[in-house]
Amino acid sequence: MSYSDKVIDHYNNPRNVGSMDKSSADVGTGLVGAPECGDVMKLQIKVNRETNVIEEAKFKTFGCGSAIASSSLATEWVKGKTVDEALTIKNMDIVKELSLPPVKIHCSVLAEDAIRAAIGDWKKKQGAAKPVAATVVQ
Amino acid sequence: MTDSSLTTITAKRAPEGTQSCWSCGTMRAVHFCKSCGKVQPPAPVDYFTFFGLPRKLNLDVTVLEKDFYELSRKLHPDLNAGAGSQEQEWSLQQSSLLNDAHRTLKDPIKRTQYLLQLEGVEVEEQSKTATEEARTTGQVKKQIVPPDLLEEVFELNMQLEELRMHKKMGEDDPALIEEIGRQKLELEEKQEALLRELEFRWKMWDGMIQREQNGQPVSGEERKQERDKMVDVLNRRNYIRNLVRDVGEVLEN
Repeated sequence: MSYSDKVIDHYNNPRNVGSMDKSSADVGTGLVGAPECGDVMKLQIKVNRETNVIEEAKFKTFGCGSAIASSSLATEWVKGKTVDEALTIKNMDIVKELSLPPVKIHCSVLAEDAIRAAIGDWKKKQGAAKPVAATVVQ
Repeated sequence: MTDSSLTTITAKRAPEGTQSCWSCGTMRAVHFCKSCGKVQPPAPVDYFTFFGLPRKLNLDVTVLEKDFYELSRKLHPDLNAGAGSQEQEWSLQQSSLLNDAHRTLKDPIKRTQYLLQLEGVEVEEQSKTATEEARTTGQVKKQIVPPDLLEEVFELNMQLEELRMHKKMGEDDPALIEEIGRQKLELEEKQEALLRELEFRWKMWDGMIQREQNGQPVSGEERKQERDKMVDVLNRRNYIRNLVRDVGEVLEN
């Protein structure tokens, strides 16, 4: 099996590697794993309180090239999106963009899980009381 | 190539009509005729059935080895070189089935994974479905392994990366090496504990199959529960196994 050029590019030059302060109220952290291969993926987002826009995204993944590329792409995609928009990202979008072979689809699932987990964590921090921004211009 | 037989062989037993020898007409084993010794066309059976074993996880490996060598001798293409071309073809197919079955069943982990697959476990499929469910319901997907294990795996990986980097730069970091060495011992203990846990699950599973063989009904729910408990142990084991491997690599280099 050979990796696509896009996977290799993300693998060699991963975007947004790093971490943010987990305890910050504006930061949501998602830590997910794929037990079938033992991969772990951590994805963090920093959300603007006023606009609900994801202003910063960081990741760190321990796993194969496809898992690293999937999470790298995921951080690129969520940046600049509102939380609700980010929730519409589907694993198959990642599969298409990176031309992942069937045996690596679980890497894209992991990336989608990571986005959802990070947003879930952020939402939990905001609590139910937080009003949703009324107008969000894309 | 080796995986393909896993997916094409189903758990079905050979249909009744195919159970008599094509050559002499008497009842036959799955692989060769006990009466006239002719190799038989491969029947779509699972590996346990191929060896005439119940679907239990504790098995006597010395018996398995003995059966394997005996069957090898009867099924090997070289020993059937004088047979008709159809029989030779079957001999080739049966031999390859035999090798796959033997390789899978002799290894306790592979054996467990194979049984779980026969029992309908599809870890990847299930994970994908759960993600799709989270997408439509907006609920947070439950992670298959406990979050604290993920946390631990992540942290240790960070330390390993740090140590790799130090080594690359030619720096020595005795404190970090000591810390990782300590964690390695802990991991190995965990791996041992997981194996014992798995062995306990095998016992439970086999007990259930035995009851079934004794004519006591086993509910689908119980079967599924026993199955899923094994999946859980194997999932946690995969992480620990990878970590033990990676820690070993970093400490050695």
